[in-house]
Amino acid sequence: MCEQGGVYRAGESLKASWRISRVAIEDLQGLEISVLWHTEGKGDEDLHVHHFQRINEQRLREIGIDSEQELQCVLPVTPLSYHGQIVRLAWCVRLRLFLSDGREVLSEHPFYLVSEQYQHPCEASGESPEAESQITKSEPDQSVSTRAKQTRSVLASLGR
Amino acid sequence: MPRLPTPWSKKRGQRSLGNPYAGVAGEVAFSASAFLAGVFGLSLVLISHWAPQQVPAQVSTEALSTNLSSWVIGTVSLAAIVIGATRLGFRLIHLSASDEFRSVIATRAGAIEMMAPGHGGHGGDGESDVAPLPNVPKGRAITESPGEHLAYRLPMVSGDSGLIGPALLALFWNTAWIILLAVVVSGFWIGKPRWILTFLLVPFAFIGKWSFQFSLSQLRQRLGVGATVVEINEHPLQPGGSYDLFVSQAGRLRLKRLVIRLVCEEETFYRQGTDVRVERHEAFSQILCRERDVEVDPQAPWEQQLGLEIPENVMHSFAGTHNAIRWKIVVKGESRPWPSFCRNYPVVVHPPGLPPSRNPR
Repeated sequence: MCEQGGVYRAGESLKASWRISRVAIEDLQGLEISVLWHTEGKGDEDLHVHHFQRINEQRLREIGIDSEQELQCVLPVTPLSYHGQIVRLAWCVRLRLFLSDGREVLSEHPFYLVSEQYQHPCEASGESPEAESQITKSEPDQSVSTRAKQTRSVLASLGR
Repeated sequence: MPRLPTPWSKKRGQRSLGNPYAGVAGEVAFSASAFLAGVFGLSLVLISHWAPQQVPAQVSTEALSTNLSSWVIGTVSLAAIVIGATRLGFRLIHLSASDEFRSVIATRAGAIEMMAPGHGGHGGDGESDVAPLPNVPKGRAITESPGEHLAYRLPMVSGDSGLIGPALLALFWNTAWIILLAVVVSGFWIGKPRWILTFLLVPFAFIGKWSFQFSLSQLRQRLGVGATVVEINEHPLQPGGSYDLFVSQAGRLRLKRLVIRLVCEEETFYRQGTDVRVERHEAFSQILCRERDVEVDPQAPWEQQLGLEIPENVMHSFAGTHNAIRWKIVVKGESRPWPSFCRNYPVVVHPPGLPPSRNPR
């Protein structure tokens, strides 16, 4: 991804490159790559795809999977990333591989969408109703790097 | 020992146990069976109606002979066809598309609807000076009403229980009780007393008295507490912004305590079995005003001008299908002799850095 820290400002352009390794092209039926936000937490999941690209088997053979492919889109102004108590809103680039044997492999690379003025995603901490709450700032790099490790492990498992 | 395939799968949080297609196969088989059974039943009814000589000998002629049984079997068969076909179509669509692809299709369908005349999708209705904000409530209703002291009078969403429900309950229950009383009296009158019904009238009378008192207390609260007016000088709000707020409380009451707060609430809906549950959590709360022993008179309502500051880097208002983040002004009063009240006035907070919206007033 073009931003090292995984923090993008609202309305900014997102550029990313992707490549599939250790999988034979004959084993692939197609892939979908999307830039999306989804909610996490206690409630049912909300999901909205901002940018979507579907590549079928024939197209995959044309472009090949060994070379890096580009993904580019302009991010929206809202909704911004949020880490609350019962609602969390997360942005990510999601790559879904469809294998010939019917299996699907999912790879996610999360990032933060923040406002134009502030560098950090907001995070609310619950306090008693009679007291003023504190709005704290999270360190995005640690969380993003953790999720990126998970992504790499998924890709590694795909290669086996 | 090889395990037999099971036509179901178990969910453990985000992951599923067993073959992910096992549950789908079971559901598809059930839906297809319901559909085919419905087609068979409906065919039998139609054949017995239009060509009775074609009914197989195995089928009892009595089963379809009457008009009522034909209607019952026909209705059940039709319901089975609709349920089976719907579930089958739904499951097959889900099989052939990922979550992301379905979301894209839904978004495109929504965009086509918005372009249709009457939806005002691409019209200059005074909002063109603000960039589109996906999943941020527009809050048009909030700026519909002008204020007397400040630009906008905020609409109220009452946190109190309603008045119509208790009133209807009291009305219907007491009406039923009166009818039962008439039946009991008539029984005594003709010399055939109904003793069980007579004894049941006593507990029924207590329920009727309670429902009447409850609806009366709701009515007294509504009439006695009086209107709470909240006005604001600007809307929508932005993080880091300062705003003026005017609050007025009318009525004839003595408030033991009055608290006005700015609240950000997380709201989420989730399914638990067949129930849809809602959970709310106050993520942020700021006390704007707290007063004790407030006297409110019809001639002199309590009025206060307050300052409202939205902290920097807070989350904007958000509305998804199952999750939401709502900002609101909450006015809570503990009053005498009326019951306590809590009134909510929603506001919309935009993300920072946007140009201020044009004030229509």
